[in-house]
Amino acid sequence: MIELAGNLLLLIGAFFYFAGTVGLVRFPDVYTRLHALAKADNLGLGCVLAGLALQADSLAAALKLLLIWPLALAASAAVSYAIANRAQALGVRPWQGEERS
Amino acid sequence: MSLAVALFLLLNLVAALVAAARGPTPADRMLTALLFGSTGVGVLVLLAHAMALPSLVDVALTLALLAAIAGIAFARRAWHSAGQADD
Amino acid sequence: MEQTRGAGQDGGWFPYWTRRFVVFAVLWWVLAEGRFDAWWLGLVGVALATWGSMRLLPAGRHGVSLAPTLRFLAFFVWNSLRGGVQVAAMALRPRPDLAPALIEIDLSHLPPGTARVLMLNTLGLMPGTLGVRLEESRLRLHVLDARLPVVAEARELEAHIARLFGGRP
Repeated sequence: MIELAGNLLLLIGAFFYFAGTVGLVRFPDVYTRLHALAKADNLGLGCVLAGLALQADSLAAALKLLLIWPLALAASAAVSYAIANRAQALGVRPWQGEERS
Repeated sequence: MSLAVALFLLLNLVAALVAAARGPTPADRMLTALLFGSTGVGVLVLLAHAMALPSLVDVALTLALLAAIAGIAFARRAWHSAGQADD
Repeated sequence: MEQTRGAGQDGGWFPYWTRRFVVFAVLWWVLAEGRFDAWWLGLVGVALATWGSMRLLPAGRHGVSLAPTLRFLAFFVWNSLRGGVQVAAMALRPRPDLAPALIEIDLSHLPPGTARVLMLNTLGLMPGTLGVRLEESRLRLHVLDARLPVVAEARELEAHIARLFGGRP
């Protein structure tokens, strides 16, 4: 039962990673792509970690897996801000929609 | 199961790296830094489970920790130089 | 800054460092996956970590209390789930229908420094918002869809962070 729930979480995680990649390919500019990667991939990682934690041998091993999530979140948040900030400093204009620009 | 998901994430990582590297601006190419932090760590923990190599979890944890420290150090310049010399 | 010590969140009967010692000991237990065969090394590491943290971040400067922290974490986890689901749905829609925009919000209700940086970074993981530039108290955000109530959500987050830092919301 727990094994099943863990595998389900792994599949959900894979789905969010896939959605993040699709967003990276389809979204029009660096800012919108940052949204896709920072949010979808981190949710994917969270689901994968939770799924593996459910199948872990001990409570400590499960908590160790879950400890990775806040670190990855902090990394993504800081890096995505740094990239957005840099993009703006480089003069990259946000995409405003085809008909309005 | 975890091996299949790990391989799927690797495919994702390759596709995303190609898309980011092609990106029209230099800022798009910086997106690769984000990919290693999230997808790379995910692949490592899945492989740790699939191949029964628990030490790969330590590798993933260290990678996430370094990514967090590097990311914060990188972003601090933007936080603190606001209003000066940044644009 | 030092006067936040008296707020009744300081450990009471125990010296302040014991709390950190317990936190680091639990962290060691997690990192060692519950094994105790190298407990003496862990003890040295935990003692050094406690000493180092007391030197680098002396007690009292962080008057962050438990209940607002837990409420903030719950709010954050729920909204980062929403953010992921929302952006995944936008990416997978047959016709991507984005309405991106740059907006500016005012952060002068938050104390400068850590509180504003936390706000900026948390927004990057919340639905539809991404910090682009923080200048004094003005934060420029990139939003994925300007038709969504992003400013109201940012204000809600701001209230949580203000409570976290013991300020008035």
